Amino acid sequence: MALVELKQVSVVYGEQSALRRVSLCVERGEFVFLVGATGAGKSTLFKLLYGEARPTEGEVWVLGQPVHRLKPRELPFLRRQMGVVPQDYPLLPRKTVWENIAYGLRAIGYNESAVRKRVAQVLALVGLNEQARQLPSQLSGGEAQRAAIARAIANNPPLLIADEPTANLDPDTSWEIIELLLRINLRGATVIVSTHNRMIVDRACQRVVAMDRGQILSDVPRGGYPVELDRLYATVLL
Amino acid sequence: MIDRIRFVLHETWESLLRNATMQAAAISTACIALILLGGAGMALYKLDAAAQALPSHFEAEVFLKMSATRAQALQLQAELESWQEVERVTLTPREVAWEEQKQKLAADVNLADMPNPLPDKLTVRVRDPEQLPAVAERIQQSPLVDEVIDSRAELQTVLSLSRLVRWIGLGAGGLLLLAALILIYNTVRLTIFSRQREVRVMALVGATLRSIRLPFILEGMTQGLVGGALAATITLLAAAFLSEYMTQQWAFLRDLPPGMPPLAVLVGLPTLGALMGGLCAWWATLRYVRI
Repeated sequence: MALVELKQVSVVYGEQSALRRVSLCVERGEFVFLVGATGAGKSTLFKLLYGEARPTEGEVWVLGQPVHRLKPRELPFLRRQMGVVPQDYPLLPRKTVWENIAYGLRAIGYNESAVRKRVAQVLALVGLNEQARQLPSQLSGGEAQRAAIARAIANNPPLLIADEPTANLDPDTSWEIIELLLRINLRGATVIVSTHNRMIVDRACQRVVAMDRGQILSDVPRGGYPVELDRLYATVLL
Repeated sequence: MIDRIRFVLHETWESLLRNATMQAAAISTACIALILLGGAGMALYKLDAAAQALPSHFEAEVFLKMSATRAQALQLQAELESWQEVERVTLTPREVAWEEQKQKLAADVNLADMPNPLPDKLTVRVRDPEQLPAVAERIQQSPLVDEVIDSRAELQTVLSLSRLVRWIGLGAGGLLLLAALILIYNTVRLTIFSRQREVRVMALVGATLRSIRLPFILEGMTQGLVGGALAATITLLAAAFLSEYMTQQWAFLRDLPPGMPPLAVLVGLPTLGALMGGLCAWWATLRYVRI
């Protein structure tokens, strides 16, 4: 069974259609770019995966669970099996990097010795050992994004979702972030990343799902690059 | 489990320390609301106690016939004292009453040569003021009795006043309580809005609704507790000052029954504050903390 599966999903906010009959399948271990201009429906699709948005119609299956049918009290247990790097407010401004990562683990009931062990491991993985005691305001954009990724992967989830993790970052830093996500993918996690940064999509050579106005325009598998994407960029990503 | 409790308490404590302005707003709101409530409560308690005490001052005055001898008066006094409804009977002999009367009017009239026109008088106090009219009627049937004055009209007025004070107290107290709840609720709501980031992060990492809401509820309880303690201190100090000032101005106030016991205020207002803070926070988190 696929790790993530959307079946004919539509989402309507009032009279505005955010997603229209979207179907998507992501297998375990894949790395998927979700590309599209602002308002294409990428964030809504992500919110469906962790239950922050509900489909108006269709089914959403994540890690074998029917998210469209889960009750609010069941959602936390699904979310503990995935890491989410949100686009807005990725870090708590008054906590240090170490505390930000520990916060997520403590909130889901890790004991203190496990927290200390896991925080040290993920800090080493994302290369932020030296910044552990710094506040988010003292970090560069790339470091802050790595800290947010560290918190998302702290409990070793099989699925990582990152919403525009390279937004507002320079090209070199953006690539560092993508390299980090690729490393996490190589360690076994399925990674879905939304972006409208063509450079990193070109360079990463992974599966690319393109969205526009709430619909999936194309789904280019790994290796199907670059002819189809060139056509896509001309129409979707300006 | 201990780590979980420590996490919740730590988050509550950090939030209390970090959002100083918001805490000051919440605590002062709770404090002001509880001062209003506590002040009104203390004033109404005193009024109610005074209203309850007034009827006990009502007594029946029994004037005996001029033909009644002292022995008959004493016999009647003993008989009345044996009645279950009667608390106390005092005999005022006619010569004592006449002496008092003469002294009282000495400045205006010379009564020295006048014969004593006053009869013996029995003053009857009943255990329950509501029984006074019935007791008075029963006494009136004695052949030794000329007239019974029981002030039943005044008594009815005071009893009605006492009931009115109680209803006003309940109504005003209820309204103030509602106003206090709304004020505290609104402050907790603002606290939640100011911490949307924490709520979202906790929700995304998979914290349960209960663990996201609990620090807010504990925070609300702490704000209410601190606000209540401040309110109790201020209310008691203000009450002591006012009471001192008023009894100096109007000596008759010294005869009023004592007000609410200070310990009840010191324990009651912080407890009420904590309960109200917790209730408002719980109510606000139900509406504004979603995952």
